[in-house]
Amino acid sequence: MTRTRIPEIGVIVAAFAIVASLPWLAGSYMVSFAFSLMMWLALTQSWVLFSGLTGYISLGHAVFFGAGAYVMVLCWGTISFWLAIPLAGIIAGGLALLLGYPCLRVRGPYFVILTFGLAELIKFVVVNIESELGQFSRVVFGGPGVDQLFHVMVGLAAIATLMTYVVRRSRAGVGLRAIRENEEAAETIGVSVARYKAFAFAASAIIPGMVGAVMVLRTTYFEPLQAFSPITSFTIVSIAIIGGGDDAPGPVYGALFLVVLQELLWANWPQLYMIILGLLLVFFVLWSPDGVHGWVRKWQLGGRK
Amino acid sequence: MDALLSGQLLLAALVTGFVYALVALGLNLIYGTMRLLNIAHGELVMLGAYVTFWLFTLTGVSPLIAFVVAMVLGAAMGWAAYRGIFRSAILSTSVVERLEANSLLLFFGISIILQNVISLIFKADLRGYQYLDNVVEFGGIAITGNRLLVFGISCVVCVGIILFLRYSIFGLAIRALIQNRDATAIVGIDVDRVQAISFGLGFGLAALAGALISTMQPISPFMGFPFTIAAFVVIILGGLGNMTGSLVGGLILGFLETYGVALTAPTYQSILIYGVFIGVLLWRPQGILGGKRVAR
Amino acid sequence: MTLISRRLATAIVAMTAMLGFGFSAQAADPVRIGYSLPKTGIFAPAAASQDNAYELWREQVNAKGGLNVAGSKRMVEFVKYDDQSDPGKVVQIYEKLITSDKVDLVFAPWGTAHHFALAGVLERHKVPMMGNTAASVKIRELKAKYVWFPASGMPDQLAESLVNLMKAQKVKTAAVMTLQLPYSLEVRQFLLPALKKAGIDVVVEKAYPPTIKDMTAQLTQVKAKSPDAVLSLSYPSDSVMYMKQAKALGIKAPFQVVLIGPSIPFFGKVFGAATDSVVTLGQWSPHQAKWTRAKPFLAAYKAKFKDVPDYLDTALVYMSCEIVEQAVAKAGLDREKLRAAYAGGTFETIGGQISFDGVQVVAPTLVSQVQKGEMHIVYPPKLATSPYTPKSGWGK
Repeated sequence: MTRTRIPEIGVIVAAFAIVASLPWLAGSYMVSFAFSLMMWLALTQSWVLFSGLTGYISLGHAVFFGAGAYVMVLCWGTISFWLAIPLAGIIAGGLALLLGYPCLRVRGPYFVILTFGLAELIKFVVVNIESELGQFSRVVFGGPGVDQLFHVMVGLAAIATLMTYVVRRSRAGVGLRAIRENEEAAETIGVSVARYKAFAFAASAIIPGMVGAVMVLRTTYFEPLQAFSPITSFTIVSIAIIGGGDDAPGPVYGALFLVVLQELLWANWPQLYMIILGLLLVFFVLWSPDGVHGWVRKWQLGGRK
Repeated sequence: MDALLSGQLLLAALVTGFVYALVALGLNLIYGTMRLLNIAHGELVMLGAYVTFWLFTLTGVSPLIAFVVAMVLGAAMGWAAYRGIFRSAILSTSVVERLEANSLLLFFGISIILQNVISLIFKADLRGYQYLDNVVEFGGIAITGNRLLVFGISCVVCVGIILFLRYSIFGLAIRALIQNRDATAIVGIDVDRVQAISFGLGFGLAALAGALISTMQPISPFMGFPFTIAAFVVIILGGLGNMTGSLVGGLILGFLETYGVALTAPTYQSILIYGVFIGVLLWRPQGILGGKRVAR
Repeated sequence: MTLISRRLATAIVAMTAMLGFGFSAQAADPVRIGYSLPKTGIFAPAAASQDNAYELWREQVNAKGGLNVAGSKRMVEFVKYDDQSDPGKVVQIYEKLITSDKVDLVFAPWGTAHHFALAGVLERHKVPMMGNTAASVKIRELKAKYVWFPASGMPDQLAESLVNLMKAQKVKTAAVMTLQLPYSLEVRQFLLPALKKAGIDVVVEKAYPPTIKDMTAQLTQVKAKSPDAVLSLSYPSDSVMYMKQAKALGIKAPFQVVLIGPSIPFFGKVFGAATDSVVTLGQWSPHQAKWTRAKPFLAAYKAKFKDVPDYLDTALVYMSCEIVEQAVAKAGLDREKLRAAYAGGTFETIGGQISFDGVQVVAPTLVSQVQKGEMHIVYPPKLATSPYTPKSGWGK
């Protein structure tokens, strides 16, 4: 089993190396493309770390992205960017622990709806806070250059991928997956279910928080309705479904696929892009829930027969 | 204070409440009988609205007729969707296991498709038309004719559906299915047929709600989402699978929204709705009227 | 794989071509101007007039043989996208225009929110853009160096002008309803303290989100209090809702302000006489004799579009085009030279002479009023084309 995995992960490591050197190899357009790719990869890997392994589908992950972005906005001018980014991650993690307290007590579809509802609630709370502060949207001038931010994003994506890869193969990963298979049984055999869920949830929020902070610097623009947009949450889940939500390579396939699709379509045919995304989602949910990664695995295992 | 106690607000709350109840009834039917969380429910409302808009502006057909057409089309679509996709999906065991959690994603995919197909066809602008825009005054309350009509129809239909479920054979079959799937089959009820009817009815009610709404406010391809949320809030409030609960829950939400907004500010509307949503989910997931049946 | 290398190759070729060895006199390369407008979404109806102005300008320039780029004439070509009324998309589109489509110039999108979203992008890429349908105190505070607003309605000054007008009309009580979008929020931010200073009592004050479906609740409260002035700080779609519902409820205040909306042709068509005496954001009127370019513009617009222009947006957008035209004639397409030209120059437009102090135009803030279907400037007195008249009823 391990033998079939190493080549896959080896390819991915090599790919990261190439991507990291893009600013010197290619033009700003390619860097922009890779930036998007790294962002979605980082977000989805973190999501898989929690939702993929435990089976608790979080439909509100955008809240961590938005929170990270808001932290950066609030720190702007007073705290250095380089400090603000990890701060955003920590605060997002804290938010996850806070939200986890009520959320992780419910199961299945209730959890899904609840995470979604909480994300939306927080979004509107931030909108109103901004309104009270007399702000509607914020512009963040003078951040680091795109190339520097790009490297940070590549780093975040690499860390997220590594986290998912390592955790899945660790004892913690076994515990998390046990929760997915049968939570009561897991508890009976000694898995401290509540703690595992809480930590995994918090861990899955840190990178998205930092990604949010970096993205605000990248676009120089923050607007709560957009930063906390449910579309972000849904896109993450779509990428995981399409690529495969069980292990690290899945989000890589999914993110690559999605960003290419986006690049091809969103500028001129945005509705077509969304329709294709919807169709893919329906297809994969109904007939191929293990995603592209599932296909790759089947193919590899089948080939080894 | 006067404004608060006015009949004006009361009527507004009632109209909103009954519309929400109508939408929620449809969602509850589908969830209750098949445990499918139809996130695309709001899109069905949107489709009903567009059918009415299109019929009225293109052919001048009276919205009253369009209401019926929209409802029938909706029901047909539901029936077809059931026969086409869901029946076979339910039969495949590997899919069924994941279906409840994944039904959300599945329906989300469908809702994206519906929104964007309509957006492609009709452009994403707000569309509207004037119907019964004249202001009717009685007892010091000014209300437009269309609102009054919507109030009347939604009220009648809601009560009608509940009576239907309570007293007719089909209604009993549906309630049996909601209560216990296996027992229903054992007792000899054609589960497949009842499911098809629930689907059809559920979709039809949503389409009717959309048709009614289109007379009161401008429509857009993305108008459905807030109704989906409202429907979820209502069925959580009233209890999953509990039809009377949906009616009561719808009214509660309508009142909360209208009076909440009047007391505070329109900006708090979303916070209010989501706050109630989360509050009920956490505090009493079986709903205010829900019984011991905690649907998982 | 093929897709990426083809794109890469195109990018390299395009880059080289653009960097080129200056713009040689015999090169008939068109000047490519990029922008995005909401063709769909909530701002779409309001933005239609903006594209009209851009297209009218382009037609006129190309008819003269092309845009004068520091001496040589080149035809103008547009690269347009639909931003779907989404500020996030605006940012992405303009980045694409600048880095991928590599346009020579960018024109402004619609609305303050979208201009605001672009401020950072323009600073980062150092691309100067002449704004139009926007005004923001915040951008002025940010000391943005690559965007300018020829619009007269800077929120702080507009608030002052409105309050002065109200004082002259002996207004004692007011109701203010504000749409939660940047421009209207900024106006409110300055309006409320100004009203307080003038001793005008604000009896109803509500803010509402763009998703609002029904204003009955707040309008009922307004009617109950019967203030002398009602100010609806709204954008076209909710302005329409306000007019409909205020008329239905029969709100009788003699001083009524609808911030943005009455200047659009369809407004008058939909509401007819009900629009009379509504006060709105002023920018332009064809009746101002001091503006010699005004009447020819009106004639050209009517000839092409068989309708009157939007007295706010279309006029502003056309003015911004005139400014760009005059700046490019002097400075060519070099970005830093262009920036200097905008910052320091004086320009002749259909709205008079324009020059800038920082991001803001040096000009008085105008307030307009619809009178018998015609748009007149009623404040300040020295630019007024007609005196203010109070509103009596909703016409029939």
